[in-house]
Amino acid sequence: MKALTWHGKEDVRVEDVPRPSLVNPSDAIIEVTATAICGSDLHLYHDRVPSMQKGDILGHEPMGEVVEVGSDVETLEIGDRVVVPFTISCGACWFCEEELYSLCDNSNPNAELARSMMGHSPAGLYGYSHMMGGYAGSQAEYLRVPYADVGPITIESDLPDEQVLLLSDVFPTGYMAAENADIEADDTVAVWGCGAVGQFAIQSAHMLGAERVIAIDRFDERLDMAREHGDAETINYEETDVYDRLMEMTGGRGPDRCIDAVGTDAHGTGVVAASDRVKQRLKLEDDRPYVLREAIKCCRKGGTLSVPGAYVGRVDNLPFGAVMNKGLTIETGQTHVQRYLEPLLDRIEAGDIDPSFVLTHEAPLEDGPEMYRTFNDKTDGCVKTILRP
Amino acid sequence: MATQDTTRDRQPGSAQQPDRAESDDGRGRLRRAITLLIGGVLVVRGLRRRSVRGLVMALTGGAVLGRALGVSPSRSDSGSAAPTVAGESTEVTRSITIGEPAQDLYEAWRDPETMSKIMGHFADVQPQGEDRLQWTVQGPRGWDASWETRIVDEQPGESIVWRSPADAMVPNEGEVQFSDAPGDRGTEVTLTISFDPPGGSVGSAAARRLDLVPEAIAGKALSRFKSLVESGEIPSLDENPSARGSGDLV
Repeated sequence: MKALTWHGKEDVRVEDVPRPSLVNPSDAIIEVTATAICGSDLHLYHDRVPSMQKGDILGHEPMGEVVEVGSDVETLEIGDRVVVPFTISCGACWFCEEELYSLCDNSNPNAELARSMMGHSPAGLYGYSHMMGGYAGSQAEYLRVPYADVGPITIESDLPDEQVLLLSDVFPTGYMAAENADIEADDTVAVWGCGAVGQFAIQSAHMLGAERVIAIDRFDERLDMAREHGDAETINYEETDVYDRLMEMTGGRGPDRCIDAVGTDAHGTGVVAASDRVKQRLKLEDDRPYVLREAIKCCRKGGTLSVPGAYVGRVDNLPFGAVMNKGLTIETGQTHVQRYLEPLLDRIEAGDIDPSFVLTHEAPLEDGPEMYRTFNDKTDGCVKTILRP
Repeated sequence: MATQDTTRDRQPGSAQQPDRAESDDGRGRLRRAITLLIGGVLVVRGLRRRSVRGLVMALTGGAVLGRALGVSPSRSDSGSAAPTVAGESTEVTRSITIGEPAQDLYEAWRDPETMSKIMGHFADVQPQGEDRLQWTVQGPRGWDASWETRIVDEQPGESIVWRSPADAMVPNEGEVQFSDAPGDRGTEVTLTISFDPPGGSVGSAAARRLDLVPEAIAGKALSRFKSLVESGEIPSLDENPSARGSGDLV
């Protein structure tokens, strides 16, 4: 089958690879009909995530048709149209029972590797390094889905792919980010990063009762999207000092809730940001925590910092004194996608939200390498791309 | 059956390096600094290599670093490591919490089929009648090692102890204990394995030649046991597609 494979920094290829097959009794195989490129795929594209191997298949935002089911699968049948969460979860361990699906104890075959790096292993993910499971990704014609009764949600209605595909990651991720922010009535919420996760965090913040949402980015089309679809006020950080502007907009209090929807590849301005870039290149630092630092500085005393943006390893110069002395709460984690599938599908079906507003590009899988470039360079107004295998 | 194999491509394990108790004098500090450096280099180089061997190198480096930094919690939800060295013996103890009653876990561990599945990452395990198992490990260049173990003590629902004969090719012993975890967490399962217990110098060479790393073996065996009893299967990358072909070693 055809698949998009990783070969190193900014080197993604279309290659012929073996078709996956059923391995364990709870597996299903889906024929992928649509799969998106995620902002976190760019962390792989930039070679920021350890334990990738040349030839790994990328992708973790899939939907498709079930073509094979293992002997233990009960809820899926051949021909079902499903959206598959990026988190692989067994459904049986203590964490899954607590609905902390991204912390599943059993789904990472390389748990020992993750344990040596982080102390404990989180859930396995599709196409996101060997430390995070080593499972082949979804930017391919077929995908093996382990624990098929726990992850995929069957789409019974005739909603188009564009409206349901983003349940696989970015819509639930933005929603959980807003939920983690503990938003209360009259709160002002600041969201750093207006990519797909940021856009859904903005909309979800409103759904959860925020009074005002302030969106921060440097690309006009993304800020326009946040204003038009997310009813947000906006700050372009290349034009204005974010701290000064936020204090001005909030009477000096700072935003009550801050959401870092950027993560490890943050672009900053000034000397500190330049120093982070150099340290990262020299492998002295794994992440560029520019947004994290700024959000800590800006957040209202006693406020909440929610971090859906993906971080990889060590960060330098994190002002933890400010976190402590300002009494901030930090909430983070990979998304417990399974927890949000049904409620958010209900919202889509009820017409509360149409997630397809973030989709700017669609291309056949063969054009994947070019679409990675376009997305990475933020050319052509690219926010979110669907690939069609 | 679902298996992965990390034994064939492994770097000499950290757990095999003597790590005797050190006083906090200058020599101890220097040794600790050197250990930190070696661990760091292994992690960085290992991750840069982007290969199976590199991953294992990084893993080993991480373990070395962890030990030098004293990061070895004695207890946690999903496991703990406390490798110790007594004489020539290499012993490791790891714990994991499994959401099932102790009695069920005891019975599952007693089933030879379970042993065959959870130890499959490093050995072929076959039942040899009541209380006995035959273990075969494939070494480098077709050099195999085989030994028998026998259950020498057990308390139903609480513990099982097994041991090889003293003259076995790779003298070894093991113990698994089951104790209640707090609240609804299930059972804390503690596995101690020791290759080459005191007095077995011949076995020592065999264990080294086979590259047996008790820490990796114990950790993997426990997580495979947990996955098997909790979810009914062991997570697997068999036939996992990539541009390298089908199946992943790591």
